[in-house]
Amino acid sequence: MLVNLLFYGFAVLAVLGAAGLIFFRHPMNGAMSFVVTLVCLAGLYALLSAKLIFALQLIVYAGAIMSLIVFIIMFLNIQPEDLPREETKIPYILGGLVLVAPVGLLLGKIVKTMPNFSVDLVGNNFGGVKPVGLVLFQEWLVPFEIVSILLLVSLVGAVVLAGKRGTGK
Amino acid sequence: MIHNYLFLSVILFCLGIVGVISRRNVFTVFMSIELMLNAANLAFIAFSRVHESMDGHVLAMMVMAVAAAEAALALAVVILLHKHKGKLDTNVFSLLKG
Repeated sequence: MLVNLLFYGFAVLAVLGAAGLIFFRHPMNGAMSFVVTLVCLAGLYALLSAKLIFALQLIVYAGAIMSLIVFIIMFLNIQPEDLPREETKIPYILGGLVLVAPVGLLLGKIVKTMPNFSVDLVGNNFGGVKPVGLVLFQEWLVPFEIVSILLLVSLVGAVVLAGKRGTGK
Repeated sequence: MIHNYLFLSVILFCLGIVGVISRRNVFTVFMSIELMLNAANLAFIAFSRVHESMDGHVLAMMVMAVAAAEAALALAVVILLHKHKGKLDTNVFSLLKG
């Protein structure tokens, strides 16, 4: 019962945060409402008994990535007059909803054809650090190494892109 | 019930698509892409819970790593474009038209 209540609370807050991200004009307000969505998703991961992913969502996503985005938004010192003038924002969003509705309805139909499972919290260390680590380093070792190369490449790329100074104007 | 989690994932993904196609602020577009990645993550974790196997958790971790790499690169590009154009409007960033 409590689990259902928590699920609906987190789900409503997550959808509200995402809607706020789409509707707010200033990106800082959007980023703050997106943080609400991310924290609610972390709660949903906890309800799905994914303990490690719950912690990682809070630390990496809501912590590191979002603070990087907020830092850049503050760093660029965006005044309200620098923002793109979006007079047609509301009609565009409504039109986008109309366009995307068939996709969402199709995906919903696909979900409905699947058998429904009840997802209680499971014990026996499901989703803990040790079982996930074992799977990661036994069955997913090569993708893990490729991801490490990807992170190295993006590090070098970010330094090369943002570190240019004194080129022309 | 697993259906509710998947419906929530579908809703968040559709909101992400709407944000990408209807907004012109480059930061909002970027965060909408992150929203779509998160919706996919939620579906991964939900299916992982159904099958009681840990592979979905590993994939979700990979998606997080890709999102971090993407955030670093995309924000570097945004800083560069802001330095060159002084704007945050995606309509201004049409350098690839030739």
